[in-house]
Amino acid sequence: MGFKRFDPEDLVISNDAVTATVWSNNNPTLTAFYTSSVQVVSSNAEYYYDVYQTASSDDTAAVQFSVAYCDAQGSGSTFYNALVTGSSPTRTNYGQYRTLILGDENASFVFGNQSSSYFYVINVERARYKESLLPGTMTLYISGSGGRQVLTDDSNLGNAAVFTDAGRRYNLVSGSAGTIYTGNNTNGWTANSGSYGWFLPDVGLILLSGEALDGAYASAGGVTLNTTRSFDSASFNQGKIIDGFNAAGDSSFGFTLNSKETLSSDFVFVRARNSEFNYSENPAFISGSTGEVLFNSFIDDPKTYITTVGLYNDNSELLAVAKLSRPLQKDFTKELLVRVKLDF
Amino acid sequence: MGYLNNQVVTIDAILTKKGRELLAKGDGTFRITQFALSDDEIDYTMYNPNHPSGSAYYGEAIENMPLLEAFPDETQIMKYKLATLPRGTAKMPIISLGLESVVLKQTAATQITPQTLNYLDNNRTSEPSGYVFTISDVRLMSSFTATGINTDSVASLNGGDVPPGFRRTESGKLIPDPTTSANSVTTNGTNVSRTVIGTTLSLRATGVNTLFGSQTALYATLNVIGRDSGARIQVPVIVNKTTT
Repeated sequence: MGFKRFDPEDLVISNDAVTATVWSNNNPTLTAFYTSSVQVVSSNAEYYYDVYQTASSDDTAAVQFSVAYCDAQGSGSTFYNALVTGSSPTRTNYGQYRTLILGDENASFVFGNQSSSYFYVINVERARYKESLLPGTMTLYISGSGGRQVLTDDSNLGNAAVFTDAGRRYNLVSGSAGTIYTGNNTNGWTANSGSYGWFLPDVGLILLSGEALDGAYASAGGVTLNTTRSFDSASFNQGKIIDGFNAAGDSSFGFTLNSKETLSSDFVFVRARNSEFNYSENPAFISGSTGEVLFNSFIDDPKTYITTVGLYNDNSELLAVAKLSRPLQKDFTKELLVRVKLDF
Repeated sequence: MGYLNNQVVTIDAILTKKGRELLAKGDGTFRITQFALSDDEIDYTMYNPNHPSGSAYYGEAIENMPLLEAFPDETQIMKYKLATLPRGTAKMPIISLGLESVVLKQTAATQITPQTLNYLDNNRTSEPSGYVFTISDVRLMSSFTATGINTDSVASLNGGDVPPGFRRTESGKLIPDPTTSANSVTTNGTNVSRTVIGTTLSLRATGVNTLFGSQTALYATLNVIGRDSGARIQVPVIVNKTTT
């Protein structure tokens, strides 16, 4: 017989968490933030800007994340129709994220203990974060005319995550890599605007409170970002916050973030007993055309060399195959146990 | 005294083309239930039972050879399977098809009935569990069927006389079965293999001219594996274009 059936305990499914950097080329920290000159004049520029890790004209340029500005009153962008006050891309953005995260058109965003009517959203490219963002790994430097702030999430506080319609939600606070800086207040929040926003790892979103960032550094813990909230005027506030990332300092700063992915693997244990698989159909194992084994010693003491493991279905169709790094000798005195890993 | 190596050898597997096809089909046929081992790439003439350093060195030339990575063509890997046979076996089972290659004109048909030598008693020429027939590119055939083995699993694989959307009960009655509708999915596009099981293979060459392009013949391979003996043979399949 050439085939051997598996026992039920030979097939094991394993789920392992794999963490990795979010940005291209496995860079742990993104230190330069580029926009596309084509995209920032396109029809969707009033909704969001794409951010690249290098000049968008470069062959290796890839979108790392997008930044959108959201305003409950619709300020910061032109109205769709001058006759309908407040109906604008920034208000559409606000409603879009409110539906996604809060699931209630009457709810409002409350960052920390303060209600917010305008905020920025960092929307990490799905291919970059794979399955989810990894809480406790974020460090984001941002500068404004009033100073520089460094932000992280508060997942290390030990409090259970708050669950929204978009999965887990943590507060954005002052600090780095999950370690909270309590200089502003004990929670790492601003003095008068609550937390700096929300970190939503399951959907790859980071919300930055406009009120918190627009506050003064010394008195409130903000950076004086100077968000423009004029009606019926394209302010492109998302460009201001990208400038704030770029202005944050040298290469030791920037935006650090990791992802987490669950890899499901099939482990198949291949067991060959001592009495099994000791002869071969290899033409080199056979002498002549009538089937005699190559050496007389192979009659009572055959030696075979395993190079390949084939996994089959009931119909004897070859589904997967694995090669050993070097041949393994098999004879009537040896047994074999090989673990084959099949990733999905 | 030293420590014994208790580490399990772990290797990564890749899906074959057939594996990807069945996974995409999603009809439950991608289900690993059995395995086989092979010694592809091994040249046993490098085994030296006269090595001056003794028996520990007989396989020296083989054991240190680097191996190639796996390739995904299921018809070109796992070619030489290891077999489980009684100790003292002096002759290996050999499959005979009675032909060196299968050459057909378009729309022509033929039958192949393999025989296994050195394995069965004198009164039998065909293995009781039949043979696995695999053609590397099923597009070359308008019909590729096998008969002679009548188990349910083989009937399901071969298609048999069970129409799509039905299944046969143990008593042989046909009943509707929506779960088998997916089995009737036809694979289009590039070349894929097809496997059937039986004691006799019937095949008819395609009549479709567009496959030939500017060529006058199409080529594939036919693998035949004995389900009991593990013996294997591969022959080329050639379909010659019929000029009109």
